[in-house]
Amino acid sequence: MLARLPGRLLQMIPTFILIGVVVFVLIRLLPGNPAAALLGIHATPEALARINAQLGFNRPIWVQFLLFVGRLLHGDLGISVSERIPVTEVIARRLPVTLALVVMAAAFALILALPLAFVAALRQNRASDVALRGVFQVGLSTPVFYIGLLMLGFLGAQLHWFPVGGIGSGFWSGLYHLILPALTLGVGLAAILMRSLRSTVIGVLRAEYVEFARAKGIAPWRVLTGHVLRNSLITTLALFGLNIGTLLGNTVIVENVFAVPGIGGLLVEAIFGRDYPVVQGVTLVLAVMVSIVFLLTDIAESWLDPRLNS
Amino acid sequence: MKSLLLRTAFALGTLFALNAAAYADPVMGGTLRFARNTDSEILDPVLNNANADIWILTNLYSTLILPGPDGQSLVPGLATKWSASPDGKTYTLTLRQGAKFADGSPVTTDDVIWSLNRARNPNNGIWNFLLVSIANVAAPDDHTIVITLKNPDPSIPAALATFNSAIMPHKLFEAAKGTTDTEKANNFALHPIGSGPFVLSSWQRGSKMVLKRNPYYFGTDSAGRHLPYLDEVDLTIVPDDATRILQLQAGQIDATEFIPYERVKELQSDPNITMDLFPSTQVTYLQLNAMPTLKDGTPNPLSNVKVRQALNYAISKKAIIQVVTHGLGTPMHSYLSSATPDYYGGDGPAYPFDMAKAKQLLKEAGYDKGFTLTALAQAGKANDTTTLTMIQQMWAALGVKLKIQQMDETTLDNHRNSSDFQILSAYWTNDIADPNELTDYAAYYPNIKSQYSGWKNDEVDKLFEQSQTELDPAKRTAEYKKIQQIYVANAPEFFLYETPFAAATRKTVIGFKQSPLGNDIFDEAYIQK
Repeated sequence: MLARLPGRLLQMIPTFILIGVVVFVLIRLLPGNPAAALLGIHATPEALARINAQLGFNRPIWVQFLLFVGRLLHGDLGISVSERIPVTEVIARRLPVTLALVVMAAAFALILALPLAFVAALRQNRASDVALRGVFQVGLSTPVFYIGLLMLGFLGAQLHWFPVGGIGSGFWSGLYHLILPALTLGVGLAAILMRSLRSTVIGVLRAEYVEFARAKGIAPWRVLTGHVLRNSLITTLALFGLNIGTLLGNTVIVENVFAVPGIGGLLVEAIFGRDYPVVQGVTLVLAVMVSIVFLLTDIAESWLDPRLNS
Repeated sequence: MKSLLLRTAFALGTLFALNAAAYADPVMGGTLRFARNTDSEILDPVLNNANADIWILTNLYSTLILPGPDGQSLVPGLATKWSASPDGKTYTLTLRQGAKFADGSPVTTDDVIWSLNRARNPNNGIWNFLLVSIANVAAPDDHTIVITLKNPDPSIPAALATFNSAIMPHKLFEAAKGTTDTEKANNFALHPIGSGPFVLSSWQRGSKMVLKRNPYYFGTDSAGRHLPYLDEVDLTIVPDDATRILQLQAGQIDATEFIPYERVKELQSDPNITMDLFPSTQVTYLQLNAMPTLKDGTPNPLSNVKVRQALNYAISKKAIIQVVTHGLGTPMHSYLSSATPDYYGGDGPAYPFDMAKAKQLLKEAGYDKGFTLTALAQAGKANDTTTLTMIQQMWAALGVKLKIQQMDETTLDNHRNSSDFQILSAYWTNDIADPNELTDYAAYYPNIKSQYSGWKNDEVDKLFEQSQTELDPAKRTAEYKKIQQIYVANAPEFFLYETPFAAATRKTVIGFKQSPLGNDIFDEAYIQK
């Protein structure tokens, strides 16, 4: 895989260009434009023309695109229409929050799903398996915002164990504030992972090489960690990588409920406000993030299953 | 006899205790934690365009004249007095001696002239129309400002009390980074210095804004104490209504606004919370297209006044107020809210529910076989869709089929601003304590075709033009009465309801107010120990 890494990285470049073009065009296909969104009911034709000229959105679309690409090559994503500050600054302020949220949510999902999937698989169709599957089914089918509100109401407002939303000030306070939103975000992913891992583990447990390992007299826990876990993780890992995109999408809802100033909420506001530079910048950053996650997933998969390298 | 004495003594005692509480000394210092549903975008009095900017700006900046506590009267601000010449074309104002900006530098006539000229520059922002009658601003000496008008304008004092006329420090603004006014404004607005009760201390976009007491603020309370009482106001951004309420109940914040109507009763019965319903200028209604054909060329029944009247009669405002506002709304008597100066509501609610009359009118108009209408609503606004769904059922009784289409705000604005709609959900809040802003928008054709409806009434247009230069307040009131009567009779909109601003505070918070224009007022707020 490492030998193929430069090739994979090169492949990502056309992907980003394609995403850049699609986003650039799509946002401009929506009715209205930044000036119309800024002016609202005050959007007389003269005011629209004046503001669009001030913002440079009166130029032909290809000129705007070339300017966008030219700036992008200098690491400049333009100026936010609503906040009137550079988009890079807006993203630099909001991205760390969302990254921390997603990483914590993914960690919670793995911490929950891995042991519980094994418990469920090893105790297949017994009471504990049925109960665990039931709980996760509920987790999977409950809307994210509702889980969030329940956690806020009970663990925050009632028991005062956690703050009721917000982001606090400082690193540790920030992490503490992110626990509930990350749990809310992680529960859904944990349910997906646990369901997949449970059935894979059941399959692997019946595989001949597991029988063989057991027959050789290898200790049961070594069979589990060395043979079963490693081989079961391959499909789960692919699923995990694919679902990081969904996780990023769900941050929109979670950030709203928990008053977390992240990039998800920013993107939604920017689309409603037709803040073209912010929409373009955030989408590109998200695309880069998802591509990196896919790449890391591929690397991890080929480490788990060396056959993929051949 | 004895019991009567006791009761009298008890009553007197209670009265005294209540009085003592009402006149208790305010607590000085402390921090008020206030949650808002959205963050400000630009803290510039002239270039802003969002309520989230405007409602905070009045805490950072002062205007020459200030809105009074009722939101309609005017009281001295940076100007201690003002007078108009007999022909109404010259206003002379006296600048407050010793007034200072939050950095300690004096407020000068140069600041006033520059700020007002910037605010009325047609290339700057969207609010310059409020000052369009000004021809010149001059200062014959260090404490006198003379404003000359192109024509008499009775709304100028109110315009000078509106956020966009805020006085900014000319030199500090010029010292900000950038070459154009827009660039300088963008940079200055990140650390704005004004002469309002508070000054911006820090701002983490999308999450928190800290306002600190401005030690140089000129304002005093009725007992002569310097305002504001609070040392600090922390404004946090919490978009979700339910989360804001949970934070208030848990004591994580002291106050919040935009309480959904369905939660008001519950908060009213919470012993730790004061539920405030402040009078507002907010009206909720349906805009309509009154042109003979729609944009796509199909004939439009709403161009017939009898059809508009019939459909207005067929809406049960009472039912909508009950379901959507949980009884907190009141029916509209005019297109203006009852908190607007020169509001006329003497003829009672506009089009009280009367299905028989509606059927009769529709028959007279020749539309008794029914027709189909399309209404546009903003996606995600549950109240708007509920209202339209209810109206759909009410109009079905007339054989009128209502189709509802949902879209995002900017798309909706686009349809409105190009008159490409038949009916759409709308609401309005005044920005100035004068009836002319909404009248210019909704009733006066030459501006934007009476809110893009295409409805034109020559008498209304003439009366409005007269009222814009009318110096006799009684005559102006009479002109507005006539405009409102004609408007209601012609029904160029579907009248729904007025609502108060619903804000809630912890019981410990005293003196927080929201003006009828929406501004959050913190200068006389304090936290009781």
